[in-house]
Formats: sequence, structure tokens, C-alpha cells
Amino acid sequence: MIAVLALLAGVILGVYLDPTVPAALQPYLPIAVVAALDAVFGGVRAKLDRIFDDKQFVVSFISNVLVAGLIVYLGDQLGVGGQLSTGVVVVLGVRIFGNVAAIRRHLFRA
Amino acid sequence: MSSTPRDGRDPSARVYAPDFLTDLFRNPLDPGYADAAARRREVPPSGLRRWAARPVTMVVVVVIGFLFSVAYRETIAEEPSRAKARVGLIAEIKQRESETDRLTARADQLREEVSRQRDAALSGSQASRLRNLEAGTGLRRVRGDGVVVRLADGAGDKDAVTGADGGPSRVLYSDLQKVANALWAAGAEAVAVNGQRLTATSTIRSAGEAILVDYRPVTGPYEVAAIGPGSMKGRFDDSRAASLMREVARTTGLSFGVKEAEGLTLPAAPQPRLRYAEPSVSPSPSPSGSGGAGSTSPGPSGSGTSPSPPGGGR
Repeated sequence: MIAVLALLAGVILGVYLDPTVPAALQPYLPIAVVAALDAVFGGVRAKLDRIFDDKQFVVSFISNVLVAGLIVYLGDQLGVGGQLSTGVVVVLGVRIFGNVAAIRRHLFRA
Repeated sequence: MSSTPRDGRDPSARVYAPDFLTDLFRNPLDPGYADAAARRREVPPSGLRRWAARPVTMVVVVVIGFLFSVAYRETIAEEPSRAKARVGLIAEIKQRESETDRLTARADQLREEVSRQRDAALSGSQASRLRNLEAGTGLRRVRGDGVVVRLADGAGDKDAVTGADGGPSRVLYSDLQKVANALWAAGAEAVAVNGQRLTATSTIRSAGEAILVDYRPVTGPYEVAAIGPGSMKGRFDDSRAASLMREVARTTGLSFGVKEAEGLTLPAAPQPRLRYAEPSVSPSPSPSGSGGAGSTSPGPSGSGTSPSPPGGGR
């Protein structure tokens, strides 16, 4: 519950502050969002599995975003940025799907 | 869940070490959660650590929400720039179109002026001869009674699944050519397709799906208007082109109709570009054929070999 409120607070903060993203960071924003979604759904599922761990959540979020950004950055330098970001999105998307399916089983028992 | 701790001594885990993708599909949850849970079971964390970890998690969740809204705003902010470029292009096209219209109107006005000055300069008989020639060659607006031939694409002949159209139910450029030629043959003095006056050098062609009359696209339903003597309708109805089109209209869904019309006004064709004859380098000079597939006119056609500008006689 507190987490949902914190998420909302973050959204409102973003709307209220209206920060401008530096042009250099803009390509990484979508990837960062997908990585963050992965961390969120992983955390929700762990919560439902009753094995949620704060440290694990924080570390997984930060490392997900950093690694995803790093992969895309490397890909950009090598000229395969688009393909590598597709790969990152596929891997994280599979995880999100699996975790959402597990959450669904928890919530609806189906 | 079914995940085994990394240091678990389950022999099957070693024998069937799953590759990365299989593992990803089977167990999408970060194994770190299970490890941490197992560790917690062995050594319950101290209260201080628990209470220090919670705010950090909340901060991270706030950061994630912040990230979402920032990403959303960025995506929204990019949209107007794309739309703006599109709107700008459309505005430019509109502006150029209106500019063209304005210039065309100005050209028409100047042309009127020229012909008026010419009429004033010429004697009566010469002026009337010039007017008749201009009317015959399509360079002057004419009014009179005649017939209107209406052709329209057949409806409902498209394949519902593939969207491919059955060719015969569309009006082809050759249909328009045949109708125009038959009208000339039936005695028409002036012919226009959808308001595009035909001259000696007019072309009716197809470019992909579109039909071009003098390189300007016309769209269905097509109306071929012709001014001519009263006998024209009967002669056109008896022509081969008319019977062919009637047959085509009967077998496919295409519509074809001929009706007499009174007080038709056909606009003037745009001024033709004057072409000057040049001495040929080859020993056997051949006059270049003017006009294209749809060259349809009984009027005098400019001779390509005249040493004087061919436009001078018009």
C-alpha cells in the first residue's frame, strides 16, 4: 500500500517538477522504463510469494537500469544499438510476462 | 517457487543445467529473492537493518514513479514535433497550391487581355477567323449544345478479402480515349474530359491507378463533354466505341451513359508550349510526331517542320 502511494508520489513529482531530460540520455529512457517495470513486477511477485527483500529489490532495480543502459550504449558505439535494445526489451519483456502471470495466479488462482 | 538455491546440491540441477532462455521462461523471478529468503530463514536480520532498508525501497519506488512520468512526458513531448512537421508540410502544400491557383488566374487574365488587345488590333474578319481557329483548336472557351458521356467505375467488384480490384470494372484510360475519339469522329467541335479541354496535342494516359489528361490527374466519375451538331448523339451512339462501352457496362458493373446537354461551357485548354523546329543533323529529317496516345482532334495540328514558330498560326 505504501509502495503504491510512493509510486504515485513519484509520478506526481515527475509531473510537478517537469524535468528536461538531456538529449544524450533520451535514447535510454524507454529501456530504463522497461527495466524499472521488470523490477516492479519482480518485487510485486516476490511480495506475493512472501520472499520480498528490500535490498534485493533496490539492487535489482539499479543494476537492471544500469546494465540495460550500458548494453544499449555499447550497442550504439558498435552500430547495433537498435538490435541490442530489441534484445534487452525481449529478455525483460519475457520476465515481465512471466512475473505478471505468476501475480495473476496468486491473485485469481487461475 | 520451484527455484533451487544456487548452492543447492540437487543433482538434477547439475545434470540438466538449463540454458539461459529456458531458465528465463521457466523462472522469471530474480533468484536473488529466493536466496535472500533462504538467508533470512537461517539468520534473521537485525531490527535496525530491517528499518533502514524500508525507506531505501520507498525512495527507489518514488524514483521509479518519477521515471515513468518523465518517460511519459518525453514521449508526449515528442509527438507534437512530429505532428508539427506534418502540419508544416501540409501548410506548405496548401500555400503552393493557392499560389499556383493565383498564378493560373493571373495567366488567364493576361491571356484574356492579350486576346482583347489582339481583337482590337486586328480587323473584323481577321479577328473572327482567329476566334474560330482558337475555338477549334481548344484555346478559347466555347459554349454550345452537345452531349455528355458519363463513365463511372463499377462498384462492389473489389475482392472483399484481398482488396484486389477486378480490372475490367474500372474505367480505363483507353475507354476515355475511345470515347473522345468517337466523339471527334461524330463531329464534335470541342471535347473536354472532367473540365479538361482536349486539343490537338492532348494526351489521355494512365499512370498507375490514375488517369492523366494532359498530365493532370482526373478521377471518376468521368464526364466527357462534347459540343457539336445535333446529329452528334445519334452518330456517337452508332459508333463502335459506344457499343463496346455498352457491352462492357452490361457485363461488368461499370456505368456508361450518353445524354444530350444544352448550354455546355467548355474551358480553354492551357496555352501549349511552343516548339521550334531545329535543323536536324541526320540526313533524313523526319518531323517529330506530336501528341501521344490520345491525340484526338480534327483541328489543324502544328506542323513540326515549319521554319516559322508553329504557334504563330494559331
